[in-house]
Amino acid sequence: MTPPAPLSPRSWLWPLLLVGLVLIAYLYAAATGTPKAELTGLARLHSAAESVYCERGLNPVGRLLLIEIGLVAAAVVITQLWGQRWGRWGASLQLNGWYWLSFLMLIAMPFMLAWRTESSVCVRGRAFFWESILVELFIFAILAISYNLMFGFTGIVSFGHAAFFGLGAYTVGLTMLHWQWPWFLAVAAALLVGVLVALIKGFVGLRIKGLYFALFTLAFAEIFFILFANRIMVKITGAEDGFTFPVPSWLNFTTNRFFFYYLTLLTLAACFFLVFRLMNSPTGRVLRAIQNNEERAQMLGFNTFHYKLLVIVLAGVMAAAAGILRGIAFKGASPNVLGVGFTITPLLMTIIGGMGTFSGPVIGAFTLRLIEELLRDTVITIGDTPINIGERWSLILGLVFILSVMVFPYGIVGTWQSSRLRQWFRRRMTKDG
Amino acid sequence: MSSLPASPLRSNDLRQSLIISGGFVLALLVINLLFFNTGTVAVVLLSGLYQGMLFFLVAAGMSIVFGLLDVLNLAQGSIFMLGAYTGFAVYGALPPETPLTVRFIAALVGAAVAGAVLGGGVEFVLLRPLYSRPIFQIVLTFGLATVIEQAVRAYYGPAGLIPIDPPAAIDTTFNILGGQFETYRLFIIFVGFVLMISISLLLQKTRLGIIIRAGVQDSEMVQALGINVRRVFTLVFALGTAVAALGGMTAAPFLGAHPSMGAQFLLTAIVVIVIGGMSSYEGTAIASILVGLTRATAEQISLQYLNTPVLASVSILLFMVIVLLVKPNGLFGRD
Repeated sequence: MTPPAPLSPRSWLWPLLLVGLVLIAYLYAAATGTPKAELTGLARLHSAAESVYCERGLNPVGRLLLIEIGLVAAAVVITQLWGQRWGRWGASLQLNGWYWLSFLMLIAMPFMLAWRTESSVCVRGRAFFWESILVELFIFAILAISYNLMFGFTGIVSFGHAAFFGLGAYTVGLTMLHWQWPWFLAVAAALLVGVLVALIKGFVGLRIKGLYFALFTLAFAEIFFILFANRIMVKITGAEDGFTFPVPSWLNFTTNRFFFYYLTLLTLAACFFLVFRLMNSPTGRVLRAIQNNEERAQMLGFNTFHYKLLVIVLAGVMAAAAGILRGIAFKGASPNVLGVGFTITPLLMTIIGGMGTFSGPVIGAFTLRLIEELLRDTVITIGDTPINIGERWSLILGLVFILSVMVFPYGIVGTWQSSRLRQWFRRRMTKDG
Repeated sequence: MSSLPASPLRSNDLRQSLIISGGFVLALLVINLLFFNTGTVAVVLLSGLYQGMLFFLVAAGMSIVFGLLDVLNLAQGSIFMLGAYTGFAVYGALPPETPLTVRFIAALVGAAVAGAVLGGGVEFVLLRPLYSRPIFQIVLTFGLATVIEQAVRAYYGPAGLIPIDPPAAIDTTFNILGGQFETYRLFIIFVGFVLMISISLLLQKTRLGIIIRAGVQDSEMVQALGINVRRVFTLVFALGTAVAALGGMTAAPFLGAHPSMGAQFLLTAIVVIVIGGMSSYEGTAIASILVGLTRATAEQISLQYLNTPVLASVSILLFMVIVLLVKPNGLFGRD
C-alpha cells in the first residue's frame, strides 16, 4: 500500500471554492427565476430558484454546473501534470483534486440525470427515481466507509456492524413514534446510542483479542436482532414486521427527495472527510501501525486500547448516522436492518473497492449497487432454468464476494494503485513537475 | 500460535475449570428444581443434553479446525443445514418400499459423505491459497455461509421442509419422572455421545490424533518433522464438516430443514467454542453441554412466564459475555 497523501495547508480553499460554485448556481437561479407572488424575503428567493432548477431537461442550473465541472476538471488535469509549479495551491489540488471533482459531480448528478432523461429533479420521474437509488447508495457508502475505518485501516475485524446501523434507525424512529421527540433530539439520541453501543462493544470486546472479538461482535449484533424481532416487543418495535413513524415534511423522502439527496450526500462527504483527516493525522499513523503490527505499536508506547476504542466509536457513530438516514428515508425500520446482510454488504463493498483506501468503499458501493440496478430485470438462462438476476442477487453477491476475496483482494482502488498504468502516470508527472 | 508446554499449572487450570463447570451445572439444577416439578426438570435436563449434543456436532469441527489451521470456519452452520437437506434428498431419492431404517441410515451416511466432500473441497480450493492472508480466510468463510444459504433458498425455496419419519423404533415417546420425552431426541443424545467419545479416542489414541494434537501446539514443528501437514489440514477440515453435516441430518427428523437454521446453529456454536476456549476439544465438549443446559432452562422459564422462548437465545449470549469478562480466553482456553 502506498502511504496516505498528506493534506496540504491550503486545503480549506477547496471546500470554500465548492460552496462558492454551488452558491453561484443557486443565486443565478434565484435571480433569473419568477418567484411566487405571495411570498416575501428568503422564501421568495428560494421559490424563484426553485422555479428554475425544477425545469425539465437541461435547465440553466444544470448548464452552469456543467461549465463549473468542466473548469474544475481542467484545473485538476492541469495540476496533475504541472502541479508543482503552482505553489501550495497547485500541490493541494494535485493531491486532492480528484476528490473535490467527484464531489462536485455528485452535486450536479441530479441535474445530469434530469438532462439525460428529460425529466425534473423535483417531481416524480426518471431523475427522481435515480435520486432514490443514489440516496440508498450513499447510505451504503457511509456504512462502507465506517466499516473500512475499522477493517481496512485499523485491522479490527467485526461482524456486527449492522448493530450500529440498525440501532440508529430504530432509535430515531422509536423516539419519534412513541415520545413524539422533535427530529433533532431523536437524531441526537440515535447518535448517542451509537456512541454508547460502541463504548460497550469496545470496553467489553477489546479485552479479548483477534478472532474472539470478531465472534463477540457477531453475537452482540445478534442479541439486538433477536430482541427487536421477538414478539414480546410487538407493542414497541412491531416485532418481525417492524414499524413506521411520522417524519417532518421537509425530511419526507417521498416528496422532498431533492433535498434528501443533498442531505445524504453531505453526510457522506462529512464521513469521508472525517476519515480522510483522521488517517492523515498522527493518530491515523498509529492506527495504521496497529493494523500492521499491534504488539509493535504497544512496544512503542502507544496505548492501543484507547486508539481502537476511538476507532470503534467513530465507526459506530458513522454507521448510526447511516442508519438514521435510512430510517428517516424509509419512514420506518424492520429487523432486517439489524440482520447480517447489513454487515456483509459493507464488508463486500470495502473489499471490492479496496480495503484501506479512502475512495475504495465509496467506489465499491457504487460498483455493486449500480450493477445490481442495471441487471435487476435481466434474465439469463443456464441450461433450461431461467435465472432472474434481481431475485438471485444475494447469491450472486456471495459468489462475487468469494471470488474477490480469492483473486481480487486489494479491490479496484488497491489494484489500480499498484498497477503499471498508474506508475506510468506518476512517472510522467514527476518528469514534468 | 503461542502455546505452553504441559506443566503442573495447566492441569491445575483444568481442574479449576472443571470445578467451575460442575458448579455451574449444579446451580442450573437448583434453579430448575426451584422453578419446576421433577417431571419438567427431567425433561429440561434431557432437552438441554439433546441441544448440547447438536451444538457439539457443529462446534467440534470448528474448534479442532481452529486449533490446527487457525481458520475459523463460519460456514460450519450452513454445512449443518446443508447436511439436513442432503439427508432429505437421499431419503426422498430412495424408493418408498425400502425399509425406513435403510432409508434413514442411507440419509445419515449421505449427509456425512456430502459434508466431507464439500469440506475437503472448500479447504483445498478456497482456503489453501489464503494461508498467507489469515483475515481473508475468516471473511471468506463468512461469505461462503451466505452463498450456501442463498443457494439452498434458491433451490428449495425459503419455506423449509417438514421433518421426515425416523425408524419406528425410535419414533415414540416415553415417561420419565412424570414428564414426556421423545425417544428420537434420546437417539440424538446417543449419537452425540458416541461421536464425542470416538473423536476423543481418535485424538488420544491414533497416529492421526497425535499429529493433530501436535499440530494444534505447533504446526510448523510438525511439518519440520516430515509430516505433510497440508494433507492433514484437508483431512481434519473434511472430518469437521462431515460431523456437522451428520449432525444436521440427525437433527432433521425432529427439527425439519430450513435455510435459516444454519445461522442459528452457527451462532450457538460460536458461543460454545468461545466459552470452551477456542481450540480446546474437551473445552468444546463440556461447553456445549453447559450451553445446551442453560438454553433449555432459559427456554422453559421464558415459556412459562413470558409465553415465548425469547430468553433461550439471549441467555447463552449473556452467558458468553459473562465468561469472556471473567476469563477472556474462555473456560478451558490457554493464555
